[in-house]
Parts: sequence; C-alpha cells; structure tokens
Amino acid sequence: MGSRKVVRPELFPARWTCRGNRGIQKNIWGCKGVIRHSPDIMPVCEVLLDSGSSLPDDTSLEKLLDWFSGLIEPGEGGALLEAHPCLLEFISAVVHKPSSDPSVISFVLKVCGLVAAAEDAFKMLQAHSILDLAFNHQHWHRAGLWEDPCVRIGWIQGLRKMLQHLEALRFFVQADLIPELLQLQTDSSLFVVSAANQLLAHILLFFQPAFPTRRNGVHMEHDDMMSHARITETDLPEVHTETSKCYAAVVVTILEYINESLVTKDNSQLRQSRQILKVLVPLLAQAGPFLRDKLLQSVTDSLEELVTAGYSQLTLPLMDVILAAHSSLSPDDPDQRMGRLLSSMLNVNKPSDLIHAAAAVLHRGHQDTVHTARAVRILLLPLDIITGHTLLGTNTADEEHQCSMAEQLKSKTSCISLICVCLTNAPHVTLMPADILPCPPCSIVAAVVSLLSICSGCVSSSSSGHAEVFRNVIGSSKVQKCALEAVTRLSSSPGVKDELTEVFTVLIRYLSNPDSDRTIIHKSYQALVKWTIVCKDLSSIKDQLRQDLTDVVKKRVCDMRWEVRDSTVEFLGQLAGVLKSPEMERDTSEALLDSCCCLTLLREALRDPESYVRASAIAALGQTLAHSWQQGAALTQEQTDVVNQLLEILSQDTEGFARRAVMQYFLAWFSSCASHTSPPSSSRSSLLMSSLSSVLSLGTADLDWEVKVHSLELAELLLDKAFSGCPDYRKPSERPCASLHPYAVVSDQTYAVHRHTPGVECDLSDVLNNLVKQGVVSALLSGLVDCDRPVGLKACQLLISLRETVGPPSKDEVNATPTTAAVAKVTCEVPSCGWGKEIRRILGMKTCDEDEEADLTADECGDMRKQGKGEGGRSVSVSVCEMLRSLGLDARLDILSQSSDHVHNSPLSLLQDIVMSSATHTQTNTQPGQEVIVDCY
Amino acid sequence: MKLYCLSGHPTLPCNVLKFKSTTIMLDCGLDTTSVLNFLPLPLVHSPRLSKLPGWISKDGTVNLEKELKECAGRVFVDSQPEFCLPERELLDLSTIDVILISNYHCMMALPYITEHTGFTGTVYATEPTLQIGRLLMEELVNFMERVPKSQSATCWKNKEIQRLLPCPLKDAVEVWTWKRSYSMQEVNSALSKVQLVGYSQKVELFGAVQISPLSSGYSLGSSNWIIQSHHEKVSYVSGSSLLTTHPQPMDQSSLKNSDVLILTGLTQMPTANPDGMLGEFCNNLAMTIRAGGNVLVPCYSSGVIYDLLECLYQFIDSANLGTTPFYFISPVANSSLEFSQIFAEWLCHNKQSKVYLPEPPFPHAELIQTNKLKHYPSIHGDFSSEFRQPCVVFTGHPSLRFGDVVHFMELWGKSSINTIIFTEPDFSYLDALAPYQPLAMKCVYCPIDTRLNFHQVAKLLKEVQPLHVVCPEQYTQPPPSQSHRSDLMLELQPPPVPYRRCSVLNLPFRRRYERVYILPELANSLVPSEIKPGISVATVSAVLHSKDNKHTLQSVPKPPPVPPSKKRKRVMEEPPVVQAPKPLLSGAVPLEAFLATLQKHGITEVKVEETVDGHILHLQADDTLIQLEEDGTHIVCDNNEPLRTTLRDLVLRFLQKL
Repeated sequence: MGSRKVVRPELFPARWTCRGNRGIQKNIWGCKGVIRHSPDIMPVCEVLLDSGSSLPDDTSLEKLLDWFSGLIEPGEGGALLEAHPCLLEFISAVVHKPSSDPSVISFVLKVCGLVAAAEDAFKMLQAHSILDLAFNHQHWHRAGLWEDPCVRIGWIQGLRKMLQHLEALRFFVQADLIPELLQLQTDSSLFVVSAANQLLAHILLFFQPAFPTRRNGVHMEHDDMMSHARITETDLPEVHTETSKCYAAVVVTILEYINESLVTKDNSQLRQSRQILKVLVPLLAQAGPFLRDKLLQSVTDSLEELVTAGYSQLTLPLMDVILAAHSSLSPDDPDQRMGRLLSSMLNVNKPSDLIHAAAAVLHRGHQDTVHTARAVRILLLPLDIITGHTLLGTNTADEEHQCSMAEQLKSKTSCISLICVCLTNAPHVTLMPADILPCPPCSIVAAVVSLLSICSGCVSSSSSGHAEVFRNVIGSSKVQKCALEAVTRLSSSPGVKDELTEVFTVLIRYLSNPDSDRTIIHKSYQALVKWTIVCKDLSSIKDQLRQDLTDVVKKRVCDMRWEVRDSTVEFLGQLAGVLKSPEMERDTSEALLDSCCCLTLLREALRDPESYVRASAIAALGQTLAHSWQQGAALTQEQTDVVNQLLEILSQDTEGFARRAVMQYFLAWFSSCASHTSPPSSSRSSLLMSSLSSVLSLGTADLDWEVKVHSLELAELLLDKAFSGCPDYRKPSERPCASLHPYAVVSDQTYAVHRHTPGVECDLSDVLNNLVKQGVVSALLSGLVDCDRPVGLKACQLLISLRETVGPPSKDEVNATPTTAAVAKVTCEVPSCGWGKEIRRILGMKTCDEDEEADLTADECGDMRKQGKGEGGRSVSVSVCEMLRSLGLDARLDILSQSSDHVHNSPLSLLQDIVMSSATHTQTNTQPGQEVIVDCY
Repeated sequence: MKLYCLSGHPTLPCNVLKFKSTTIMLDCGLDTTSVLNFLPLPLVHSPRLSKLPGWISKDGTVNLEKELKECAGRVFVDSQPEFCLPERELLDLSTIDVILISNYHCMMALPYITEHTGFTGTVYATEPTLQIGRLLMEELVNFMERVPKSQSATCWKNKEIQRLLPCPLKDAVEVWTWKRSYSMQEVNSALSKVQLVGYSQKVELFGAVQISPLSSGYSLGSSNWIIQSHHEKVSYVSGSSLLTTHPQPMDQSSLKNSDVLILTGLTQMPTANPDGMLGEFCNNLAMTIRAGGNVLVPCYSSGVIYDLLECLYQFIDSANLGTTPFYFISPVANSSLEFSQIFAEWLCHNKQSKVYLPEPPFPHAELIQTNKLKHYPSIHGDFSSEFRQPCVVFTGHPSLRFGDVVHFMELWGKSSINTIIFTEPDFSYLDALAPYQPLAMKCVYCPIDTRLNFHQVAKLLKEVQPLHVVCPEQYTQPPPSQSHRSDLMLELQPPPVPYRRCSVLNLPFRRRYERVYILPELANSLVPSEIKPGISVATVSAVLHSKDNKHTLQSVPKPPPVPPSKKRKRVMEEPPVVQAPKPLLSGAVPLEAFLATLQKHGITEVKVEETVDGHILHLQADDTLIQLEEDGTHIVCDNNEPLRTTLRDLVLRFLQKL
C-alpha cells in the first residue's frame, strides 16, 4: 500500500455488526436442512450459563440472536430445538437460575420468544413449563432482576416475537400479562417504553379480525359493530370463540388504558400523552374497520379534550392522529367529528402551532380540499406578511390570524422558525391544484425572491412589507439557506418561467455579496443550475445579467475559501452539462458559456492548491468538453494542452482525488468517443489513443486503489472496443458471475459501449497484439497481483474474459485453425521486478511443479527459468494465451470474490470467540490487562 | 455637566466636556472630506489637469476661471486642498484644560487647536497614538508641501457667489472656516504638548476628576477614556472594535456603571462586514493580477494596511501570486512598518507572544525579507528603477487628491485591465474618482471598517448598562439611503441623547455628592453616639477648607491669645466663654404614644388631622396646634408659655439628644 493511507470500505472489521449481514448468513446456513449441519452450540450454552459476563464484547449476544433468527424460517422453531437439544436445556436452566447475568436472561427471553413463534416449539416449551416461568414478570421481580431494563426489554421483545399465533395470545391473556405491559408504557427507560408501545400496537393489529367479508365467509355489517359501545364476543367472528374472547378482553383493556392516559391532568404527563398519540397513528393507519371504529369510539372524546387544551408540544402528534383518523374514514362519514377536530386545529390562536398543524396537513398528503386550502393559506401567511406580496388576496377571513402572526413575527426566534416552515413548504404548495391555491405559483416565487432580497439587506423603500420584521431576517443565514432551497425546488413548479430574470438577479446578487458564506454560495449555484434547466430558451436573460454572472464567476473562482472555488468550478461543469444538452437552445446557451470563459477558468483551477478544487475542475472540464467529444469536432490546441496538463496531474499530483478525477475524465472521453455516431476527427482519436497507454501505465502504477480500479475500467473499455467485432467476447458484466460478496466493488458506471457489429470478423491475433502494445495486458496482469482486493478482482474478471475470447477451449485444439495458432504466438513482456516478479512466481510454480509444463513452449519455459533464476534483470516474453491459462484465474476469482473478513464473519468464528473469551477469562495465569490482540487490520 | 459638540462628523469627533470645573476636549478629528472639492495635486506635471477649462456661470455673470475648473461635468477648486476644522467659535479654546486623544485618526486637527488659540493645557495620548499620529501628520504635510501651489482660492467662498455655484460646492458648509494644512513646525509644537499614558493608568486632573485610557481594540494604542470623580463616571467610547485584528482587545468591563456614556466612532459601513470585504479585496486583487493588470490600493500608511498585508501574506501562495511584487509607497512607509513591529505591548496577545520568539509580530517583515513587499518614500528615486508590472501598489492619500496615488491614477486609469480597490471607508469612492473621469480602470469598493457595528454596540451597551447614552444624531435613525433598515440604528431605553455640530448639551444627570476629608486630629475629637444599631452620629464643628477641588474639614483654630489690653471695660464686655452647643435632637414622635402621654398630662381634647407630611394635633381647649412632621415639630401656642413648655418637654421625651 505504500506510504499512503487509503481507507477501503471492505477492510473494516464488519464482524456481524449490522443486521444487514443476515442475508449473507442465510446463504450459508439459513436454508432448510442446514440447521442440522450448523456448528455445535453446546459449548457456547455452557459458557453462557456458566459465566455470562465474560463475553468477548457486548454485541456477541446480539450477533448470536441474529444468527438464530437467520437460521429459523417462520414456523421452524421446533426444528431448531430438535437440532440443538442443548438449547432447550440451556433455556430451561437460565430461566430456573435467576442468578444469571441480566444480559443472558434478556437473551434467553428473546430466544424463547423467537422459538415459540412456531406453534410446535411453543407447545414443546409449554410442556417443559418454560414459558410460564420465563414470561412471569413476578418471577424476575422476586429475583430482583426486573429492575434491570435489559431484562424488561428482553421480556417485551420475547413476547413480541412469540405473539405470532393464537395459542400465544391465549397464553398472554391467561397469564394476565396485560397489566404489566401497560405498566411498562410509562417505564423510566425510553427504550422500554418504545418497545412496549410497539408490542401494544402489534397485539392490536396482528390479531385483529380480518375484514369481515374475508374471514370464513362471515360477514359483519359495519353499522352492527358501531352499535356496540363495548366489545362483546358477538362482535367477533364466530370461529375461535375462545380466542375472540381473549382478543376482545385485550382490546377492551388496552383501549381503556389508551383513553385514560391520553388526556393529561397536568403538563408533566405530556410525555405519556405523546407516546400514546404516537401509538395511535400506526394503529389508525393499519387497523381494519372493526378495530378502527372501536379506537375512534374510545378516543375521540379525549382527542377533543386535547385539541381544546391546546398543548403546543402535542400539536404534531395530535395532528398525525387526527389526520390518520380522518383519512381512514370515508368522506361521507355522517359523524364529521374528525373533520371538525381538524378544522379547529387549523384555527388555533398560537401562530407556531397553527403553522405546524398546517404543515402536517400538507405533509401527510391529505386529500380534503377544504382543509388543504386552509392549510395552504396558513402556510403562506408569514411570507405574505413579511414581503407584502398579496399572496392571499384581500380575503378578510385570515385577519385574526394575520394580527397574531404579525405580532409573533416581531420576535426574532419565532420569526425565523415560522418563516422557515413556510419556506420549506412553499414548493409543495405550488404543486397543489389551482383551485386550492390562493394565488398563481409565480406569485409565490416572486415572494420568495423578494424575501431573499430582504434577507440580504436590499429593502426597497417602496416595499410594503413589515419593516419591523425585516430586522429579524436581514442577514439571517438560516432563512437565507431555507429560501435558497425553496427557490431551487420552486424551479420545477408549473408556470414559473416568467420569474426567471428576477430569480437570476437575486441569485447573482447572493453570489456577489461579500458576506455570503460558503454554503449560501453553494446553494445559490445549485439554484442557478436548476433554473437554467427550467428555461429552454435563455434569450430572456438580458446581456447585463449574463455579464453580471460572468463577473461573479470570475471573481468567485479566485475566492479565498476553497469551498467557494470548488462550488464555482463545479457550477461551471454543471452549467456546461445543462447548456449542452440537446433540448437547450444552442446560440444563447453557448453565449452564456463562452462569456463565462469556462475553459480558461477551469484550466486555471487545475493549478489550485486545494486538491478537491483540482478534482472538481477536472470533472468540470470533462463535462464541458463532453459535447465536442460526442460531436467528434476537431481538436483545438487548448484541448491538447488540457490533455497534457491532465497527464501531468496523473503522474505528479500528490492527492488521490485529483488523480481519480483524471482517470474518470479519460474514461468518459473514451466511452463517449466509442458511443458517438459521427466518426471522430483523426487528430482527436490519435491524441486519445496515444495518451491512453500513458494513462494506463500511470494508473496501474498508482498508489491509490481507486485510481487502479479506474485504470482497469479503462482497460475494460479498450477490451470492449477491441473485441467489438468478435462474437466470442463477453464482457465480465454479461458473464453469469459467482455470487459476489455484497462489499465487492463493482463499477457502477454503465458506459454506453457500442454493440457488437455482426458479420465483422476480427483478426484476433492483431487485436491481441494491439492490446499488448497498448499496455492493456500488462495493466491487467499487474492488477491481478495487486494487494488491493477490488483491483485484483476486477483484473481477474477481465483476464478471464480475455481468456474466454482468445484462448482455445483446450490444448488439443491448439493447432486447429491458423487463427488460433497466430493468437497463441502473441507474446507479452513480463518484467523481472514489481508485478512481473509476482506473475513469474505464479507461473514458475505452475510451470515447474506441475506437469503443465507442456503448456508453455519449451523454449519459453527454459528462457523463463534461466532468466528468472539467473540474471533476473531482464524481462521475458511470454505467450499471452498460455499465461492466461496458467495463472489459475478461476481459483483466484473464487478467493477474490470473498470479502477479506469472510472468515471472521462466520458463525463458527463467533461461537469460537465466545468460548475462547470465557477460557481466557477463567485462566488464572493470565496477567491482568493482557488481552488477546486481534488484528483488526 | 455640559457637552459642547465641535464636530458633526461621527467618526472624527471633537467634543468638549465641562465636568466639575474641568474642561476636557475629547478628540480633535479633522474632517478631510472637504478636499474632495479640490483638484488633485499631481506629482508630475499632468497635461490633462492643466488643460481643464475654467468655470463661468451659464449667464456669464460669475467668472471664476482662475479658481474653479470643470472636469467631467463637475466643478473643482483649483487650489491647495483645505480641511474643515472643528468649530472654534462655540467656546473659548484657551480655556481647555486637557485634550484626550483616542486614536491616531482622531488627532489630525490637533495643531489647529493647540497653536494660535491660547491653549495652555496638556494633551494625553498613548505612545503608539502619538508616534503613528505624528507619522500621519508628517505624511500629510509632506504630501502638501512637496507640490506647493501658490494660488489660494478665496473668491468662491463668498456667500453670494457660493450660492450660484453648482453642486456640491454650493452645499459645502462652513467654507470660510476651511484651512490649509499646517506646517511641520506647528505639528512639532502641538505634539510637544502631548503627555504619554498607558492603558488603565490613572491621571488626576486638578484633584477634581481622574482620567484613564482603556484599550479600545481598534488600532495600535487606540483608547476609550473613563473620566470619573468619586461619585460620577463618564465613559467616552470612540473608535472601538471587537474583531480580533492586531491591536489589544477592547476592555469592555471597565465601562460598566457609567452615568453617561458618550458614544462615537461606530463603523461607517454598517452593511459591509470586514471579513467579507477582506475576502472581496483578495478576490479582486487575484483576478486582476491573473489577467495581467495592476492593482492600486489607496490607503493610509498605518492601520488596516497591516491587516491587509497579513491577509495577503497568507493568500499569496494559494492564489499563485508568489512572483507579483507588492509596493508600499509613502514618505513614512519605512517608519510605519517598523513602528508596528516595536509596539509589542500594545498588540493582541497572539502577536505579543511572538515577540518572545525570534519572530516579528507582523508577517510583513517576512514579506520584506523575501522581497515580496518593497517600500519606498516616493515614486521618485529607487522606486522608478525597480518598478515592475503587473504589481500591487499601496499608497496614499485615500482621497485621491494628493500623494503618490495621484500619479498612479494618471498612469493606470486609462486601461481596463487595471483595478483600483478602495479599502478606506472615509471617502465616497465615486467622489474620490470624480476628477479622473472618464476612467477605464476597474473600480472595486471594499471598505474595511473594523469599528463597532450597531449589532455589536447594542450588545455592548446591554452589557455595560450606562444610565445615559450621548451619540451623534446620525446613529439615532436609519441611514437616509436605507430608511427601512431599522437594524442600522441605536434603539435604547431611555433613548440616546443626540448631538450635532454646534450642539451644547446639558447632560441629564446631576451631581449630588462631594467627598470631604476629615483631618485625623479632628476625627479624634469627635464623640459619636449610636442612634440605631450600627449607626452612630457625632456633631462636628470645623472649618471647611477647599483647594484644588479637594475639601478638607479642619479643627477650628483656637482663638489667638488676646493681646493684653489696657481697656478693662472692653475685656469685661467680651467674655471668652464659648457657649456649649445646644444639643441636637433626632428621632420621630410616635403619634399614639404621644397622644397617650398628652392624656396622662390631662390634655384630652385632641383632634388629629392627617397632612401630607405628618399630623396636626389640635388641642381644642387651649386653641393650640402641634404640627408633627418628618423633619420638624412646631408648637403653635400663643400666650400660654407654661403649656408650651409642657408640650415641649413632652415632645423632647420622645427624641434623642446628641
């Protein structure tokens, strides 16, 4: 790796740290029948039972649980118990021995629930009377362990996992666990509360009777159910009467609890109300009609009470509940209570609550026109007041709110928060149907633009806005950022093109303002790009504006802050990308670009002292020149100079970012040349081809693994191009590949490589010779033995492709055709040092130790041995075909396809770790403080 | 306490404070904006300027061809530039006891005040203020004297004629008081009256008040002043900065608990943030140099230039400007750069600590060593032989009316690849450029004013809580060009007291106490008696001796021994017996208890009437009134002496005697 520090994602010791790994484990262990072959867990159980506290780290149990859950298919808990009889014993032992470590108990409770999710396993555990004891909270109370939140969490999550069938529900009711579960809703630990909430929702939702028409053909009328104030068993489907009873009992208790704890007696209980409201939202959203009606019956009064009380902290959750309830009801609901509640929420007197309520209506995609229109008016109110643009017309209905809102805007903190909510929602508002909007979208854009002007201190004396509010927003970077984001998003609103000049003017003013901070400048550039896309015809942009933009770009490219220079360079690239797109009007867009002196500024930026800026400049150059590449226009001297400059950066720049960018530049150039329709000018293609071999050799010799991967991508493009006429050639990406590790680096770039032209026979030996000359083959060989796995993998895949294309199927056919004979004669130089040494080592072993010696011609082999062992200073020529066959590519691919931590990541390794750590823990002769040093790379 | 306001310029103040029999002048700034009405003084003969047409009124009635010249649609006075002095008629300047200088920009009118007015007082300033102030004055005199102009235009100042002149000459104020620059001799004489002070040093003025300078953070040696007596405190805040530039940081805490805070010298560019401007300066500089142009920076030879050079020092490499020469041209360039390095104790902590390393505090030393920055006294001499373009030139004067900058304007003005970057906020750049029009050169205005802005000053005042704030009227309303910017004014409770040129303010607070010393022997003779726990009083008979605003109580001198006299009768007539002083009474008469006592003594028919100050007791039977008030008791009892005596004795029972 040399002296450079390169962070490679796949080298982090992942070691089961995330649940995402479960997928991989399933591949290895998860399919049916495999359980029996999984490693023996007995020693681990013993360790856990014996000394639970001496685990290698506190995630081990979590990982173990993950592994178990990965092993078990739904309903397969019994199989697990059968496969590992010790598991049952272990669970039983822990449950009966409350002196265990709380974390082990928690683990066991979860495992217990996991296993009991299958009915057969449930019965097995019941038969051993494990469940009664495990989920008896009194048992843990008595042992003094209930105090530990991790035991409570284990209890809740165990139940949550277990409650997947009616037997479990019956057990839950009969064991009378509901009171304890409700008790836990107000637990001191937030995690416990959250888990308990989820369990509550799970029970109500999971066991709710399916929609009446679907279950056993028993149809229940909606009105029938509504007529019962309390649930009776007749409400429920007649089958599973006993279960229905259970469910009914649970529902009644839970609903009573919800209803009671929803309304708070004093402010200190607001947290509880908020929790309950949070539970109600998914319940209402997912509940079937029966449960929903019951829920609504029992909570509507309390909701009304909460709305009247007007607690600011509850506004958002309350809105969520009301909206969920309102949208779950049919619009012709006779009892319009939810509608009325919604109306009163949109009519509260506190401006901050009001605007949040309105924002919630918009966010939840509420369909009701009346309320949405009301919410839109509320959301636009602050903008209307501050800017003085009459967005809401002269309607006097808002007057009351207008006064309180204006009053609130005079205080700095609330002003900023109100206006930010308003701005964040403004783009969404403009997408509403016209009958809901109080004004056309372009007025909203104009108001936001005007607000941006106010923020930067440009207040015209004719402005009819609220002067007292101005002092709160002038210079506020938070409002500026929000407004700039809004302007950016507003570019996609309908009918806003007319505002283009105003938007450009204000954005350019922001860019030229000396006080604009780097984020503001970045956002202004983003907005400019978006608005440029909006407008296909830039002729509406006046010359003066164009000149202003040019001036400001020229100034910002010299800025003291590198972030600003970077944003500017990036902007130039994006602008070029946008303006050169086919749908843009040619003349005006080119005028805009030329006036910016794009190329000159970008070339200047190639010498920037900050590597990020250099990298951005290279990328921007690529975007700027992409168009001329595609058109195959003749090469200018300037472009030649650029190529030379880039080669210099690739060979001399000390920072990886810039070198990676150069590689991508050439990749883009080459692929665009390969894909364009018109023939490239000869000067251009010769410059490209002549620089490619330098790029390849520099790129493969780079210290940065990404640069190396990019150079292999370039080699791939060259292969694609070379074999474009060859019917046998298949790109590695088209090849059915072995299952790749999820971390394996796969190039996500999809180059538009031209399709193979049928009927064009290619002379394979010439092609191969060319590839050798271009340095493609040596690039692949050096990549193959690279110490960075992604590089090796990519090279290996490409070499296999190459082998499949050029190599004859077997040695018997060596002399089958003249073509193959010619191909076999193509040789490539293998140097005696660096990668060549490694390649020689591989070949040397193969050729000398095994009887494949005949694969190489006797002369070559002899030469190789002589030179390899003799002088060692000269390179040797080796037949490419022979080499491809002798490198053991397939075996190498298998190794390289596995992630570097695949050994550490196996369940076996985890089990060993647990056992080992307990062993080291109990060893008396271990020096204190002496730990097993794990090489974490 | 009175404040006389002799200057209307908020950042070039000149006020006189009369406080406890002392007359203190606070700063004497010179308003140099008047020079913008004059033609530039070229160092080298300028054919363009010499060929300008003279001005004749449209109807031909007024002909001032000799005095006024027309250039690019404006009329300029063709004469030695003149300055607008502080008001000299408002009070007799010879009565001024001391002048306190807050920074070197605010002392440029000093020779006009101290010379030829009968001034006999002392000027107080810190050492860097004096030294750099001297440099600036020297530079000004040098600029003027090296291109002498014999002509002195006076006709245009005639009120009748001035009325007929075009703007802005027509609206120029107090033109009759405008004066030409002083001479070096006057400068030396004025500066010889300066007495040096250090931060927090306390100086007694006639025993009446104590003055003390505090660091104000604006420039090397810049100070705010505290003027206090034993019971009153006046703070004078002028040109302060909270930014961490080169000077010592501002001392804010010492300003706390002032009765009056006189606030001047806020930023002249409230909308231009110095950081942003510095960035803008560098951007434009790099842009011009990259395009092959020259950059001209008109500036003072001290102050912001140190920060500019420091900023450029860091910027040069990142902008690939390593080979571009930087020139600093001023008659005092060398001294200014050197002085900045030696006033270590006046620098910010960061720079101070460099002094103890073998490293100069300012990086411009390194720029000079590496030949990136070169300084010359003038464009003549060495400079002309080493001059290389493209380059960056720092030179004065920022008004573009005199100094070496005039030459560069003539030299570079015609080419659009050159740029002039204004960094000094004192002059409107459009007015400064007026006599050079038409101008192809690019102009950039990046005024860098590090003084307090309104936001900072609001915070400061919240912190130090003065009872009253006095400030120029400009600070009490938004700038006229931005009438909606309510954030660009001072909003205080109670509202600040505004002043303008020639205002005389009676400061809204009254002196109530004075400290009096008691001599030890007199103190020994006192007999305190306790009237309340912890409070004792004693009567004092003494002689009050006041001298130099110090008040002392001394024992009454014993009467001189009577000279032996022959006239016996006379001796008999003058008994030398000193009557024992009557006891002093203290305390209050409690109404209920007093009524009870009266009743005991047989006085029963008492009508009590409540008054504003106490009670009136009406003894109806005897037609007698007793007035009980907070600070007195009166017995109105006609013709019944025994009753009066009884009543008096009863009253006395309730009072303590001393």
